[in-house]
Amino acid sequence: MKRTRTQIAAAFAVAFLVLALPVFGQRHPSELAPPPPLSFKAPKPVMFTLGNGIRVAYLQDTELPLVWVLGYFRGGSLYEPPDKTGLAQLTATVLRTGGTKSRSGDQINEELEFIAATIEAGGGSEFMTATGSALKKDFAKLMEVYADLVMNPAFPQDKLDLARNQSLEGMRRRWDQPMQVSDILFQEKLYGPGSPYGRRSTPATLRAVSREDLAAFHKRFFSPTNLMLGVAGDVPVDEVKAVLNRVFKGWAKAKVDLPEPPALAERADGTIYYAYKDTPQANMFLGHLGVRRNGPDQYKLDVLNNIFGGGGFTARLMKELRSNRGLTYGIYGGVDAGRDRGAFMVASTLKAANFTEALGAVKDIIRDLQTKPVTDEEIETAKNSLINSFVFNYEQKNQVMAQAMILKLQGFADTYLDTYIENIRKVTKQDVLEAAKKYMDPDKVIVVVVGDEKKFDKPLSTMGKVKEIDLKALVEAERGPQK
Amino acid sequence: MVTHKRMKSSCFLLILALLAVPALLPAQSLEEKVTAHTLKNGLTVLFAERHGAPVFSTLYGFKVGSVDEYPGITGTAHLFEHMAFKGTPRIGTKDYEKEKVLMDKIATVGHDWSVELAKGDRGDKDKVAALRAELTKLEQEQKAFIVKDEIDLIYSNAGGTGLNAGTGTDQTMYIISLPANQFELFCLMESERIRNTVLREFYIERSVIQEERKETTDAVPARLLSEMFMGAAFLAHPYKNPVVGWASDINSVTLEEAQAFKNLYYTPNNCVLAVVGDVYPAKAIPLVEKYFGDIPRGEDPPIFRTVEPKQLGERRVRFEFDAEPQLMMGYHKPNFPSKEDAVANVLAYVLTRGRTSRIYKDLIQDKQLAVSVSALAAFPGDRYPNLFGFRAVPRFPHTVEEVEKGILEHVERAKTEPVSERELQKVKNNIDASYIRSMSSNFGIAMTLVEYQLLYGDWKLFKKYRELIAAVTPADIMDFAKTYLTPENRTVAALVKKAKAS
Repeated sequence: MKRTRTQIAAAFAVAFLVLALPVFGQRHPSELAPPPPLSFKAPKPVMFTLGNGIRVAYLQDTELPLVWVLGYFRGGSLYEPPDKTGLAQLTATVLRTGGTKSRSGDQINEELEFIAATIEAGGGSEFMTATGSALKKDFAKLMEVYADLVMNPAFPQDKLDLARNQSLEGMRRRWDQPMQVSDILFQEKLYGPGSPYGRRSTPATLRAVSREDLAAFHKRFFSPTNLMLGVAGDVPVDEVKAVLNRVFKGWAKAKVDLPEPPALAERADGTIYYAYKDTPQANMFLGHLGVRRNGPDQYKLDVLNNIFGGGGFTARLMKELRSNRGLTYGIYGGVDAGRDRGAFMVASTLKAANFTEALGAVKDIIRDLQTKPVTDEEIETAKNSLINSFVFNYEQKNQVMAQAMILKLQGFADTYLDTYIENIRKVTKQDVLEAAKKYMDPDKVIVVVVGDEKKFDKPLSTMGKVKEIDLKALVEAERGPQK
Repeated sequence: MVTHKRMKSSCFLLILALLAVPALLPAQSLEEKVTAHTLKNGLTVLFAERHGAPVFSTLYGFKVGSVDEYPGITGTAHLFEHMAFKGTPRIGTKDYEKEKVLMDKIATVGHDWSVELAKGDRGDKDKVAALRAELTKLEQEQKAFIVKDEIDLIYSNAGGTGLNAGTGTDQTMYIISLPANQFELFCLMESERIRNTVLREFYIERSVIQEERKETTDAVPARLLSEMFMGAAFLAHPYKNPVVGWASDINSVTLEEAQAFKNLYYTPNNCVLAVVGDVYPAKAIPLVEKYFGDIPRGEDPPIFRTVEPKQLGERRVRFEFDAEPQLMMGYHKPNFPSKEDAVANVLAYVLTRGRTSRIYKDLIQDKQLAVSVSALAAFPGDRYPNLFGFRAVPRFPHTVEEVEKGILEHVERAKTEPVSERELQKVKNNIDASYIRSMSSNFGIAMTLVEYQLLYGDWKLFKKYRELIAAVTPADIMDFAKTYLTPENRTVAALVKKAKAS
């Protein structure tokens, strides 16, 4: 602080001049007339099925000379053997980098990058994905490589080693950032270490994966009848059909078996899990299981989530913990819907010296939602926000297509988007109260906190039953002896 | 660009990443879409029409960032950016007259408290506690008059998305996207914010920022390394300071200092606004004139004096932290619109962009010394001469030293061996395609328009960048490497794992 008194005094004077401006000439939006209605016809992708059973979603977009491709195969990490956790992601990575029976991976890299085209593959929990993009003039070329990769991947040993080595390094580093540590521990405690939703890959499970495993995992899910493929961009539909029929020619249909994973059981019992890490703040996740997606209360939950912790600064969590108390840079939460149960959760990095105060405040906010109806203003803002911002779902055509595909794959009704606004309008304060009672339980939530308890305002034991996690031992056990 | 935002949002980060190499658009089609209009007070407004979905995105920037700060007030550009969400004498309050009485007291008590805090260990602890208690009491009283985050409330009701702001080294930007029928609301809200921002709840927000610094820098190895690196790479130039500010400064900067800083830079003549999407300039310009036109023109911002002296020898930083090792390297170079800047962009692609780039193939795929190496063509800012450099993440058991050696071999190769025609063409094809891709979002276009207009005075300079890239030859790349990528012009910083820590 090197500023002199005079400088500060001068700044002070300027400040008061501005603060003292007369109200004259200042405006408030309540003075505006209501805006004219929006008229808009939502673009919808065309859906059709190719001879070999590939379902295609297509949306024309002539604005730019570009094309996007998005493929979803059902299947993913939910179907990995537990001792090979990480197989889905390794399969996806090596599918892309390992080349095909007729083109090496390096050759494909060269071909694609010269024309500024991209293809990437991913392994999620319930879908394997393959995305692509190119200039429209290169659409046929892009699809030739794309089809070859998804139909005939070679999975060479050297590219498996590369992918595995990269993942192993990622695992060494996942303990470096406290919020990530907190997230990892929370997922495990929430779903259970044996659940396909909660288990995480380790060096041991990655090392157990062979190239035969990759080939078998690929064979199990990569079938034309198990693929939904989206194409959006400046390529006419007839050309898309012709190219797709050509590049996927001869791809044999195969039956894909997708057994439902074991149902999740609630494990949350109010325990506070504490892991010591020398870090300046307290990194917290709390929650319990959530709700199955596409359920009867989804619109009520959209409104509740917006009010609770999903609506930015108008949400109660942000308003109280950040804006009123200054205890965090951000706090988010809500009841998320998932394939089986999803999660009810709250996540935040909090000021260590006020951690138990903050935890208490979060629980109070939950209890308040369960005992008192939200205010008229809150429900109105939440509904207005969801309804009036709905049009942003249509801002980019490739997103419109992706959204239509995922809704279809997840079993949402074809009318879901068309009736969304109407369904949100119907939600009442009573609905929100009931949803909060039904889907949130502040006494049952598990809390994971990573930080240094000595810096906290009160011992964690004042907040509930505490179990300590020895992070150092956990990391060492995971890594095994270091060469 | 190092940016600190008002709130976390992955979308904003993504776009910034996209713009790491300034992302530009196909010249012809962008120029056709743009209508430029300058108000009498100096505010430049750029419209780009895209009549797809009935929405528009806006982005306006002031040419002020951490580069305009000096010791003692680092972090103030960012702090003020947070304060710009706190309302005006009409927005955010139930009774401004009564609230203002309390705010004046808060200003006085907060000032005295901050002065005492700034004394550190030599300060009077009892006085600090007493002033803190008094401040808390006043803040509680003020709450009765506050309409909490009313700017957020108004935009949420209107269907706004992505309300946010970001402060970088060079500029501060404010963003909001709205349905197409809300353009007048946008004009009213933003003209009020520019003209009449009230620094409501200043000292609470200051503590939010202290938490932001801990969360986004002190606990993040890559950010901490960047802070150590910049401090060594720049001796004199304020690019050495972190955007979020040094902890001592954000712990004690006062409301008056933030207001004074704002008054110097938040003028219409130091601002560029872009509106991209379903808007018709003929209808929109009269509204812009009505709402923004009577904001008084300000003085020119203070002149910027400091020039980084020529680096006379290699600088090295090495520090221990409870994390796996990482490396940063950098070399001073000229900024846009120099020829060297374009050459640096091409070289960054040649070395590390994509799986066919030289360093990817050699150090990541073949030797597997590292899991990632990224060349950065222009950092930490673009307003003043900046750096070309690298960020690298070694793969265990390989060390930062091995990775540095590997990178330097490619730097040497760039000096002696010309890039092949096909390699160069591939890079140019990719830079071209990235222009086109960035045009697929309203926000991406707005970002491009504002950056060029605000930093270099002419949005059409995006064409200049294209021309410069198109003209780059293999000999230019060798010249650049020989001239700038020298040991005496180099800074290297390494984070290494603390000997005994988990």
